[in-house]
Amino acid sequence: MRTVTTISGRMILLLLVWWTLTEGDPSGIGFGLVIVILVTAISVRLFPPGTARIRPMPFCLFVLFFAGRSVTAGIDVARRLLSPSLPVSPGFLTFHLNLPEGGPRWLLANTLSLMPGTLSVSLDGARLDLHCLDTRDPIEADVRAVEQKVARVFGLSLEDSAARAGGKE
Amino acid sequence: MEITQLIQGFLLIAGCVFFAVGTLGLFRFPDTLTRIHALTKVDNLGLGLILLALLLGVPSLAVGMKVVLIWLVALAASATSAHLIARAVRSQDRGRSEGRESHD
Repeated sequence: MRTVTTISGRMILLLLVWWTLTEGDPSGIGFGLVIVILVTAISVRLFPPGTARIRPMPFCLFVLFFAGRSVTAGIDVARRLLSPSLPVSPGFLTFHLNLPEGGPRWLLANTLSLMPGTLSVSLDGARLDLHCLDTRDPIEADVRAVEQKVARVFGLSLEDSAARAGGKE
Repeated sequence: MEITQLIQGFLLIAGCVFFAVGTLGLFRFPDTLTRIHALTKVDNLGLGLILLALLLGVPSLAVGMKVVLIWLVALAASATSAHLIARAVRSQDRGRSEGRESHD
């Protein structure tokens, strides 16, 4: 049942993308349907319908949060660039993620790349290496906050994560 | 109508300024990884502002959604390529520090 929902959800999404790409022109719909079915088949092969499913409401909140943070990120880097003293102190930080494998970790890594001061370098299992523009910033708290939000998008709870992260320091 | 055009103009100029600042980052920042910070984040904001300006003047819903789609794809591409370049730089550095005499 869940697989059927996932597949039909993906097909509707792809049909919407096709409709957008053709700007609503109905003449290409036959070709579009073939493509949509092919792409859905490939997507099921590459990303099998898993346990982690995106919740719509938290996802919308996440998008808003993401948009706000990426504006901050752009302004932050621009401010550093334009100030004559170039206030950066780059360095690497390593985190152990509490998120499950697959979509959640991938979303976190890519989101962090567009957030203020962090850039995902390598994601190896639960180990995430980040490059930070300024290691004096409170990166740890930031990463954990984003991790919590990603968990909420997938409807997971990371209650033990705060305790574990706190215990490690 | 005029107000919309004014806002559009402002957003377009702000977007271009951010793109210019992002490019400045290529010259001012000391190494590859910090340069990627400049290119992904500042250019992402520049693109967002320009697309917002375009969204204010779209003729139909489909075109508007196309603009949003462009933004999403560009975001995914910029995050992914930044990650790949960063990983390549990291492994190259690591290889150099491990066997300095073997390659260079």
